[in-house]
Amino acid sequence: MQRRDFVKAMVAVPVAASAALGQQAPPPSGAAPPGTAPVAPPTVAPSAAERRGMSEFKAPPVASVVPDAIASPDTHFFSQSQLAALRRLSDLLMPPLNGNPGALQAQAAEFLDFLVGASPGDRQVLYRQGLDRLNTEAKKQFGNPFAELDGRQADKIVRPALLPWMTDHPPKEPFARFIAIAHQDIRTATMNSEAWHAAMVSSGERAPGAGLFWRPIDPDPKNWA
Amino acid sequence: MAEKKVDVLIIGSGHSGGMVANILTGKGISCLMLNAGPIADFQKDRESKVAYELPYRGFKDPKKVPHVFQASEFNANTWVDEKEVPYSYDPGNPYNWVRVRLFGGRSLFWSRQSYRHSDYEFKAKDHDGFGENWPVSLAELDPYYSRVETIFRIRGRREGVPQYPDGNFIESDGNWSGFMERVIAHCRPLGIPVCKPRNAIGVDGLASSINLLLPDAFASGRLKAVPNAVVRELTVDKKTGLVSGAHFVDRHSRREMTIKARVVVVAAGTLESTRLLLNSGIANSSGILGRYLIDQTYGVGIVGTVKEAQNGKAPAGFMGGAATLPRFRNISSRAKDFIRGYAINISCGGNVDTHCIAAYGEELLEKTEQYRGSSFSTYVYGEVLPRYENHVTINKAVVDAWGIPTLHIQARYTDNELNMMRDAVDVSLAMADACGVEVLAKNTEPNPPGYSIHELGTCRMGDNPKASILNKWNQSHDIRNLFVVDGSSFVTGGWQNPSMTIMALSMRASEYLVEQMRQGNL
Repeated sequence: MQRRDFVKAMVAVPVAASAALGQQAPPPSGAAPPGTAPVAPPTVAPSAAERRGMSEFKAPPVASVVPDAIASPDTHFFSQSQLAALRRLSDLLMPPLNGNPGALQAQAAEFLDFLVGASPGDRQVLYRQGLDRLNTEAKKQFGNPFAELDGRQADKIVRPALLPWMTDHPPKEPFARFIAIAHQDIRTATMNSEAWHAAMVSSGERAPGAGLFWRPIDPDPKNWA
Repeated sequence: MAEKKVDVLIIGSGHSGGMVANILTGKGISCLMLNAGPIADFQKDRESKVAYELPYRGFKDPKKVPHVFQASEFNANTWVDEKEVPYSYDPGNPYNWVRVRLFGGRSLFWSRQSYRHSDYEFKAKDHDGFGENWPVSLAELDPYYSRVETIFRIRGRREGVPQYPDGNFIESDGNWSGFMERVIAHCRPLGIPVCKPRNAIGVDGLASSINLLLPDAFASGRLKAVPNAVVRELTVDKKTGLVSGAHFVDRHSRREMTIKARVVVVAAGTLESTRLLLNSGIANSSGILGRYLIDQTYGVGIVGTVKEAQNGKAPAGFMGGAATLPRFRNISSRAKDFIRGYAINISCGGNVDTHCIAAYGEELLEKTEQYRGSSFSTYVYGEVLPRYENHVTINKAVVDAWGIPTLHIQARYTDNELNMMRDAVDVSLAMADACGVEVLAKNTEPNPPGYSIHELGTCRMGDNPKASILNKWNQSHDIRNLFVVDGSSFVTGGWQNPSMTIMALSMRASEYLVEQMRQGNL
C-alpha cells in the first residue's frame, strides 16, 4: 500500500469502524425526514441503559453441537481404493464391541483422511504405501481388493505384520510400521469420537479422553494469521 | 533524564531464575526479571474438554511442535512453537529441543523426580579418567541441596547408598508390594540397589518456581518482572569489559528496548542461555562455549505382565508400587564395554498399553482384561558422555520471529551410550525372567537426543578458564558481573533428573553474588 493510501485508510477508520462494530442508537423520534431543511435535533439525553451500552449484555445460550454429531465428513486425501481399504482395516482392527461403537460408526477412516492429509510427508507416504500394500496383497492372494475380503482373509494379510512395540518405537519394517501406527490411530480416533463418548455416557460409564485443554496463551498477534 | 539501571537483571523465570530472585530479594537486593513468554492464568487459560470437542480429536495438530513427543492436543499451546523459534540439526541426527517460555518455564511441567548428584558424577574423571571433574563436590553442595529439598518438599527414603545420596526428605512409605520384594530378592545378590523414588510434593499440587520461589520475591517489593521480553543480546561496556545490560524485543509489538544493569544473571534454560551468549559474542575466551552438550538417554526398557497376577489372580498386596534402581554399573567393578552408568525405574500393577500386545479386536479386548493390573515395566535413564563434538552453534541464516539468529544443534549418541542401553535391557530381561514376568515388548534404541528434556552443558563450569566458561560460582571467567545459573553450567549429566542440582547451584551462586556485591566487587 502506498503511504498516502495508508494515511487515507487510517483517516477513514474511525467512521467505518464505528459503523461496522457498534450498534447505533436509533434516531430520535422527532428527527426531520430526509429532504427537509436541517433543523437542530432536540436534545435527548441517553438513558442510563444506553450509556452503559453493551457492558451488561449477556450472550444468549447457544445449543451448539460438534459437526461430527450432525454431518458427514468429506474426504480428500486418500484415493477411493485407499479409503475403502482403510475403512475395511479399521472395521477389522476396531469392530463394535461390548456395546461401544466400532471404527466405522466413529467414522475413524474419514477422520484419518483429514488427519493424515494434514500430516508431514513421511506419515502420508507411510499410509498411502501401507494401504496400497493391503490392496496388492489382497488381489494377489484372494483376487479382490482388501475392502472386499472377509475377516479370515483380511487377518491372513494383517496378522503377520502385527507386532508389539514400546512407546515411540513402532516397528521399522514399513508394512509392520504402517499396521502398528494405523492400529493405534484407528483406536484413538474411535475412542475419542463423539459416537464413543455418547455410548459411554448413555451406559453410565466415565468417558475417556477428558482433560484440561490449554488455550493459546496471550498469542502473538503477528502469528494469528 | 536520569539513567534507568537495575541492580540485578535476571533473564528467565524457571527453577534457576526463580531461585536467584528468591535469594537476592531476601538479602535486600532489587532485581528485574525478563521472561520471553507470557504469564499463564491457570484458571482462564485452561478449560475442561473432551477429546472429540477438539479440532484433532485429541491427536495434536500434526504440524505443531513436531519434536515434542510429550505434546498432546490438550497441552500443545504450552510448548514453544517451533515456527516462532526454529532450530536446525544435521539430517540423520535429529534433536528434540523441548521448550516452555511461559512465566515459570519448565518448572510448570517437570516430572518432579528429585535426585542429588553424587561424587560419582561430580568427580567422574577420578573414577574413569574421562572428561573433567566438576569444581565442586557433593559435600560443598550438601547444605544447598538440603535447603532446596525443604522448599520443594521431597518425599523419599534414606537409603544409605553412596551413588544415591540421601537428603532432607519427607519420609516415604517404607513398605514394598510382594512383587517388589521379589525384585529386591533378585537384585540384592547382583549388587543392584532397589530404592524408593524421590519426588517433589510441592504445595497445592504444584512444585514450581511460580508458587515456591517467586511469591516471596515479589512480596518483598524488590522484584519486578517484564513478561514477553525476548532478549536479543547482552550489552558490554567497552571501557570496563563488564556487561552493562541487555537489548530485548517486546514479543507483541516488536519494539526494541535496552535495559541497564549492575549485574546480569542468565537463567534462560540451558540452550537458550548459551544461544544468548553466542549471539552476544561474549564470555568465550576459551572457545568452548556451546561445546560438551549432554543429556540423558530415554526410551529404552521393557514391558511385560506378571504371570501369576493375570486374570485378576494377584493376592492382595502382591502388585503395585514403583522403585528406582540407581546406577550400579562401574561403581565397584568395571562394565566391559562402557563407562559411567544408568538407572532403571520400575513399576508394576497397572495396565498394559495396547500397542504392547500383538492382537486386535475382540482378542485384544480379552488380552487387555487378562493383563489388567498385572503390568511390569522398566524405563532406563542413561548418562551421556560430555563430548567436544556434541555442540551448538549460531545459524545466522535462520532467525526467529523477532529476527534473532537461531541454534544449530549437533548431537549424537556413541557406542558408549548404545552399549549401556543394551546392558540395561539385558538386566531388565534377566530380572523379568527371574521374577515370573512374561515380556511383551522391549526396546534398546534410545529416543533422539534431547527427548529427556534434560539438555545440559555447553557453558560448563571449571577451575581452568581455558577449558570452561564459568568458575565454581557460576560466574563468567571473562566477565565478573555475569552469572549463568541453569543447566548449561553442568560438567557431567549423570542419570539423575537435574532440577535439584540446578537449584542448589543457583542458590549457592546467588549467595556468593550477594557477598561480592556487599564487598563492592560487583
